[in-house]
Amino acid sequence: MNGPRIALGIRAQLLLVLTVFLAIPWLGYEYVRELERFLRDAQERTLAGTAQAVATALHDRPRLFETRAAPLESLGSGRASDEGTVPHSVPMPAVPASPEIEQIIRGLSRTTARIWVVDREQDVLARAGSLKRLDAPPVDASAAKQLSVTRVGQWLETEVLQPLYARVLQQPTEDFSDERSGRAIAAGKDVEGALAGILTVERRPTADGKAVIVSAAHPIWVGDEVKGAVIVEETTNAVLAERNRAFARLFNIVLAALLIGSVALTLYASWLSTRIRRLRDQAEAAIDAQGRVRGMVTVSSSGDEIGDLARSFRNVLSRLAQYANYQEAMASRLSHELRTPIAVVRSSLDALRMQPLPDEARVYMERAQQGLNRLAHILTRMTEATRLEQSLADAERERFDLARVIAGCVDGYRAAYPQQVIELKLPVGEIPFDGAPELIAQMLDKLVANAVEFAIPGTPIVVALERDILGICLSVANQGPPLPQEMQGRLFDSMVSLRTEQSRDQPHLGLGLYIVRLIAEFHGGRATAMNHPDTQGVVIRVDLPLVRAVR
Amino acid sequence: MSRRIAIVEDEPAIRGNYVDVLRKQGYEVAAYSNRTDALAAFRARLPDLAVIDIGLGDEIDGGFALCRDLRALSPMVPIIFLSARDSDFDIVAGLRLGADDYLTKDVGLPHLSARIAALFRRSDLLTAPAASEDILERGALTLDLKRLTAHWSGRRVDLTLTEFWMVHALARFPGHVKDRDSLMRDAKIVVDDSTITSHIKRIRRKFLGLDPQFDCIATVYGMGYRWNSAA
Repeated sequence: MNGPRIALGIRAQLLLVLTVFLAIPWLGYEYVRELERFLRDAQERTLAGTAQAVATALHDRPRLFETRAAPLESLGSGRASDEGTVPHSVPMPAVPASPEIEQIIRGLSRTTARIWVVDREQDVLARAGSLKRLDAPPVDASAAKQLSVTRVGQWLETEVLQPLYARVLQQPTEDFSDERSGRAIAAGKDVEGALAGILTVERRPTADGKAVIVSAAHPIWVGDEVKGAVIVEETTNAVLAERNRAFARLFNIVLAALLIGSVALTLYASWLSTRIRRLRDQAEAAIDAQGRVRGMVTVSSSGDEIGDLARSFRNVLSRLAQYANYQEAMASRLSHELRTPIAVVRSSLDALRMQPLPDEARVYMERAQQGLNRLAHILTRMTEATRLEQSLADAERERFDLARVIAGCVDGYRAAYPQQVIELKLPVGEIPFDGAPELIAQMLDKLVANAVEFAIPGTPIVVALERDILGICLSVANQGPPLPQEMQGRLFDSMVSLRTEQSRDQPHLGLGLYIVRLIAEFHGGRATAMNHPDTQGVVIRVDLPLVRAVR
Repeated sequence: MSRRIAIVEDEPAIRGNYVDVLRKQGYEVAAYSNRTDALAAFRARLPDLAVIDIGLGDEIDGGFALCRDLRALSPMVPIIFLSARDSDFDIVAGLRLGADDYLTKDVGLPHLSARIAALFRRSDLLTAPAASEDILERGALTLDLKRLTAHWSGRRVDLTLTEFWMVHALARFPGHVKDRDSLMRDAKIVVDDSTITSHIKRIRRKFLGLDPQFDCIATVYGMGYRWNSAA
């Protein structure tokens, strides 16, 4: 049943098919990234809009840029505070460089955006708002809560999935260094672009790379002249958080669906493979090693393909059983049917014998008689196995000395086959055995007859009886042609014969070793045939169980 | 006065052969092909001996029924079963119905007529006094070779003709091993080895029924059987 190939069960195959659905998280990831891109664009547009709005409020108000005090801080001091971790509360200088502008933009400031107003020299005139959201709530806690149905789910969510997402996705953090945190603004493309009169949107990472800042700079026009610029800055944290939340939610749903799907599929596949395996076990148990039908497949009422398979198995088995019965009964039926015509011939010959016959007729009489005797002998052989099977059913067991029976039999064989040397190896002492001695003798008859037939003339046959702690072993060895490899398993089956040419006086139906097997099995033993390891020849051994210790 | 033998056999060729041969030997033979004809004839007049086949036409066990009916008509008429069936079951069933012998059709006509002659002799002599020269005594066993009867410690052992001949073959030379072939020859039967084994077993059982200590028929494995004289 188990081939050399790697066998994948139905369950494994279905789970393999299920991996196709792993594309869904990937699709989701792509979708979320698209969403992120959209959100970023929106953010940039919003910032640009804000910058434009602030700038619009400051356009054509030259006075604001004239009454300007000296810049509060030099560029250098602004840069100095960039390095190192920035405390959460950034000290905000109390006095703005341009209180009027400060006043205007304060109303426009948003919680997470920072607005700068600089003059043509890039000196900061006013600033409002902060990049850092100091009271940021824990990320995506609300989204997580929705899916955690049970505590296990919650644990899974917080202990497994969120760390996993944190690994895959960049998490927004308020803990980044901001090089423009001081009063001064660092020169950037955005500022330069705006001072050149162009609305510039710039995206740049912070110095430590922990966050990305989007800034939009809009020029402030006084007449045709650029008097300054409005810079609106914001981190992408809000977008990141939104993206992460979407991703987590999507992924949680997909994971749950995959989990439920694979559990359901596994259960389904288990059910299927259990049914198939049960069917297979039954089908295998229904036929024994000799190919006889021993049982039947229980037929399920299910109308699917497996039920169909079980039903057709049952049909096949019952047909096989019918055929086997027919075949088994055929030998005995055939011999029974042949008996009557043979009796006709025999009685006719007997009657003929009593007639006055010429001498030449007597020769043909004898020949007819010989042929008839052979026919009758064949018939007897044919029924021998069947008769044995019947007599095994009510054979009586007794305790006897196996060694004495074997020795007696071998004496008999020496007389029956005078030209054949038969060696006997017996252990010292009695070998008590429970069984039917006449059956053991019948078995040995078959073994020795077999060995005599295959033995090379002049070589001895060795009958050996051994006993060890495991059991009793009776073996008959002869020198002669070895067993063909393919026959070794079938040698003890009914109607199997190795003989290539029919012997002239003895009919061979391949029942001898079958009888050996029947008798061995009756005694709880086993018959095996093998080629002799040393000499050229065959050993047939019968392993018999020891007598039970209770006497 | 010639003796009258009834043959009940459904196969016409076999029936014809038996009838011819037995007639040639001086018997008066009546042949029937089925149970009803035979039974009607038996009711009209009892035969001196009956040879009955078991399977009679459509009745697979017709011979058994006929034997039972004939035994009911007469406890004395010798009955021989002659059948193609050779299973132990059929043999035991046939003998239990009161048949004097059970033969398979492998047996030749000479063997059959020897049996018929022996059975007639036995029924003739049952009443006559025993002549001492025809008595074989081996310990507790007494065989009357004329009457073909066996006694164990003075009690009759109810043996069939085949069984009697087997016991005689064994007991004639105590201690000598008789192989199966010579037993078959002496018992005038043609059967296979396992049937001989069954015969011996049945004989032992009959003696054991009279004497639980009976141990005179010993199996010599690989060779045959031997009569052990009780010490």
